[in-house]
Amino acid sequence: MLETRQVRNQSPPECLFSEEHVKQIKANYQDWFDNSLRDADRESEGKYFTHSGIPIKLIYTPADIDHLNYTEDIGFSGHPPYLRGVYPNMYRGRFFTVRQLAGLGAPEDCNERVCYLLDHGATGISILFDLPTVRGYNSDDPEAEGNVGACGAAVDSIWDIDAFFKDIDLGTASTNIVTHLPSTSLVIPAMYFAVAEQRGTPWTSVAGTCQNDFIMETCVGSAPEILPPQASFRMQCDVIEWVCKNIPRWNPVSYNGYNLREAGTDAVGEVGTAIANAMATADELIRRGMKIDDFAPRMSFFWDLHNDFFEEIAKCRASRKVWYQLMKERYNAQKPKSLLMRFHVQTAGVTLPATEPLNNVARSAFQGMAAVLGGCQSLHIDSYDEAYSAPTEEAALLSLRTQQILQAETGICSTVDPLAGSYYVEYLTDQMVQRIWDHINKIEGMGGLVKAVEDGWLHREISTYNMDYQKKIESGEMKIVGVNFQVAAEKETKAIEVYEYPETYSRQKTKLEKLRKERSSTKVQECLDALKDACHREENLVPHCLEAVKNLVTLGEIEETFREEFGLWAFPLL
Amino acid sequence: MKKIDDIIASALTGDKACTSRLISLVERDDEQAPYIMRQLYPFSGKAYYIGITGAPGAGKSTTVDKLVKMFCKNGKNVGVIAVDPSSPFSGGALLGDRVRVNIKKTEYNYFFRSMSSGNIMGGLSRTTKEAARILDACGKDIIIIETVGVGQSELDVAKATDTVVVILTPESGDGVQIMKAGLIEVADIFVVNKCDRPGAENIAHALKGMLDRIDYRLSWKPPIIKTSASLNKGVDTLYEGLGEHRRYLNCDKKIKQRRQRQIREELKRNIETEFIKTILSDIYNGNDFGKALDNVCEHRIDPQNAARQIVTAWLSKDMQPSEKWAKGV
Amino acid sequence: MERKIRVVMAKLGLDIHWRGVYLVSQFLKDSGMEVIYLGNKFPEQIVEAAVEEDADVIGLSSLGGSHLTLGPKVVRLLKERGLDHIKVFMGGVMAPKDARSLEEEHGIAKVYLPDTPMQVIIDGIRSTVALA
Repeated sequence: MLETRQVRNQSPPECLFSEEHVKQIKANYQDWFDNSLRDADRESEGKYFTHSGIPIKLIYTPADIDHLNYTEDIGFSGHPPYLRGVYPNMYRGRFFTVRQLAGLGAPEDCNERVCYLLDHGATGISILFDLPTVRGYNSDDPEAEGNVGACGAAVDSIWDIDAFFKDIDLGTASTNIVTHLPSTSLVIPAMYFAVAEQRGTPWTSVAGTCQNDFIMETCVGSAPEILPPQASFRMQCDVIEWVCKNIPRWNPVSYNGYNLREAGTDAVGEVGTAIANAMATADELIRRGMKIDDFAPRMSFFWDLHNDFFEEIAKCRASRKVWYQLMKERYNAQKPKSLLMRFHVQTAGVTLPATEPLNNVARSAFQGMAAVLGGCQSLHIDSYDEAYSAPTEEAALLSLRTQQILQAETGICSTVDPLAGSYYVEYLTDQMVQRIWDHINKIEGMGGLVKAVEDGWLHREISTYNMDYQKKIESGEMKIVGVNFQVAAEKETKAIEVYEYPETYSRQKTKLEKLRKERSSTKVQECLDALKDACHREENLVPHCLEAVKNLVTLGEIEETFREEFGLWAFPLL
Repeated sequence: MKKIDDIIASALTGDKACTSRLISLVERDDEQAPYIMRQLYPFSGKAYYIGITGAPGAGKSTTVDKLVKMFCKNGKNVGVIAVDPSSPFSGGALLGDRVRVNIKKTEYNYFFRSMSSGNIMGGLSRTTKEAARILDACGKDIIIIETVGVGQSELDVAKATDTVVVILTPESGDGVQIMKAGLIEVADIFVVNKCDRPGAENIAHALKGMLDRIDYRLSWKPPIIKTSASLNKGVDTLYEGLGEHRRYLNCDKKIKQRRQRQIREELKRNIETEFIKTILSDIYNGNDFGKALDNVCEHRIDPQNAARQIVTAWLSKDMQPSEKWAKGV
Repeated sequence: MERKIRVVMAKLGLDIHWRGVYLVSQFLKDSGMEVIYLGNKFPEQIVEAAVEEDADVIGLSSLGGSHLTLGPKVVRLLKERGLDHIKVFMGGVMAPKDARSLEEEHGIAKVYLPDTPMQVIIDGIRSTVALA
């Protein structure tokens, strides 16, 4: 903070351009507009919009950003309002983490894929789970039929996490456990921490992130059984509270704008909703007696990088500023790290059609470039074959290589925030800041995010957005190359190799049978009873889950307890 | 294609697909509909009918889901008819009440049917009633009719049952709005759902104040039951409340009187409809109508006087039961 | 008024992606069909719903990799109950060869892969029901 004040003292706030200069530009602009353009050009004004609906002018000039002043609104990287990046030296200091997804089949298969990616230069791993695991069912539950090991790894017990990370040092790995739901974030990271403990790796050296977002449970993903928003939100807060007190290098939450965006919202809704969730969490943890600086430095975010190149860059920049303003003004955060919004970016899977899949290599590369220009801390580039299945090894490698090309060959990492000062980008960034705040205030006005979810507001927003988006595609207003624009006369698409999931069910079933024989059923029952009891008291659930997984209680058993104790909830969609 | 008599016979022995087909035929006002009702009506009248109504989002489906499970656990055979509005533009409908039906682990004896209000040819209240009677005849003990409590026709549907449950929420507005919506007259049981939310006490209080002003010494005073259906709180109290109302009705044959009143209304309404339909079809298919139409088009006579002439002519004709009429009898 | 086509729409099993199935449901509604939306359900529940609703068509959405197990199971259960007249359509993310196998070997009336225009789905359902 001291440094900040020094910078400010040296250069007092002033606007980017002098008043006189702006006046002249405005006059010249009018002249240019009236005399240099054709009628058709003039008529096209007001007809172009960004993906989020911000009107786009034909040309931008200093007059469009004449209200901004450099120090207050833009500033230096590593300094408030952190618009240009969270670290002073950005990518010269440290490249973004090249994070690729791994997770398919049984944990033993994943271990192979993880080792393959690490051998080829990936620096972080996101682990994905199959649907039964994400939704909290054991592989041998009848509900799991047909889904075991598909789209991600099957995890039933602590044994599976041990197998997943065989020969991988948990003290040096940076692991993103993509649990999605708070209820499974209580359990799977607990398995990870317990494995670390058993291997003698101290919790102080365990690093990573888990996703833990109640919006994922209640709005983004549908399911036969959903916990009520209040319960899911409480679990989200339990995980954050416990991790902040016990695992110093773990980020206990990644506010998942990504999946909400994929489910159906624009850039403003993506960031605004995720930040509203962070606010709800902060309010709850403060109510529980924590201080903002105890947990704000551990909050991380997860953005979707969609097609609108400049708007997405503006979104990344704007989100950091909104976070800074929120932490500073509403919560009076003191630690510099509390003021920094760090985020992981994944390119937008929803933009990748199945038609002419190789085009997706180009789409993802542009999106990845925008993420880097937006200053992300870690990046995942989607593989071209995601409209068919989880990536093949070849496709996954191509994504990894795309990231490495961005880092090593394009030169965009050599300087900080290279698009700063672009009239258009600064204009869009400023617009995004305002619109994100409007969105946050709207949610506040409804009584906060949990209530907005209970009332179905977010579901209606998603469904309206999707309807409009689809209509734009059907009408051709939204162009997708190869699908509704420049469609190939020959419909014959080149066949690509599609990844086939390894057979997993029987392997998991055998392991579960063995586990049930080896464990103490009395101990299991004791753990579940204690957990059941804690559900109805104001008590953190993590220690109970930790105790349970160590005693070989399965994920499905713990989750079934939650379903029974908290009851079920259905989408208020119709 | 099965013959209609076979379908009816199978339905009466509990075949779901056949019961379902009969409801469709009635819903479409198929020409076989009168025959179906004629065959099935004598088997109906044994079930207990519950109407559940409330604003969209009040938690009707969730409440129904929980109630059904309780009835089923107690060995009852339950039928549900959920009526939802249809799109005024396309006539299509998106019926979502089944989303909340979450019975999977146990086999229950249970039949759930979704209906869209706009696509019912024979009128909403008539058709739901007929569908309910089909379920009744086919062996259901309890029939729950769930409607969105907006608009008179939806309220009419709920009214035509043995026990009417009106579901309110803290967002339902104040007492005056509840009164204006005509809910005080129809409700046998009030439910304030989402009772864990702020404002739940207020609405329960306002409601109580209103009911306290009415003299219930000689009649049933609706209880106010607080629930949180999604958390499964208070639904057991509602279940008991339904039982209590049923016991109240069974005492002194009140249920018989209630049903007689409803049937009287229904019969009168049907007579009116049939009467008008028959006379009009007779007139529209007759020669006078075509001639009059020509005359009005050619400006030889104005529409008002032409209509009078036709009606007078029809009234002076010898009454002949029309063919269509005979078909139903 | 012509008879409305009744469609039971469901997300198969645990699959979490509701965007597509809900979107298709809305478009079918706007084309004048009666859509009974089930949310996530398992094959037994889906067939039960189709029976009780007297559906003409079942639409299944699968993006979770269970298309080859749960999809054919719905067709099998229908056949067992003598309800072959109910046609089953599928949509979602899967390999084209899986889609072909579902249509040719497993009795799925039609599989719609991503990028299919809504009108194609609407027309497909209409013509199949008209033939039945």
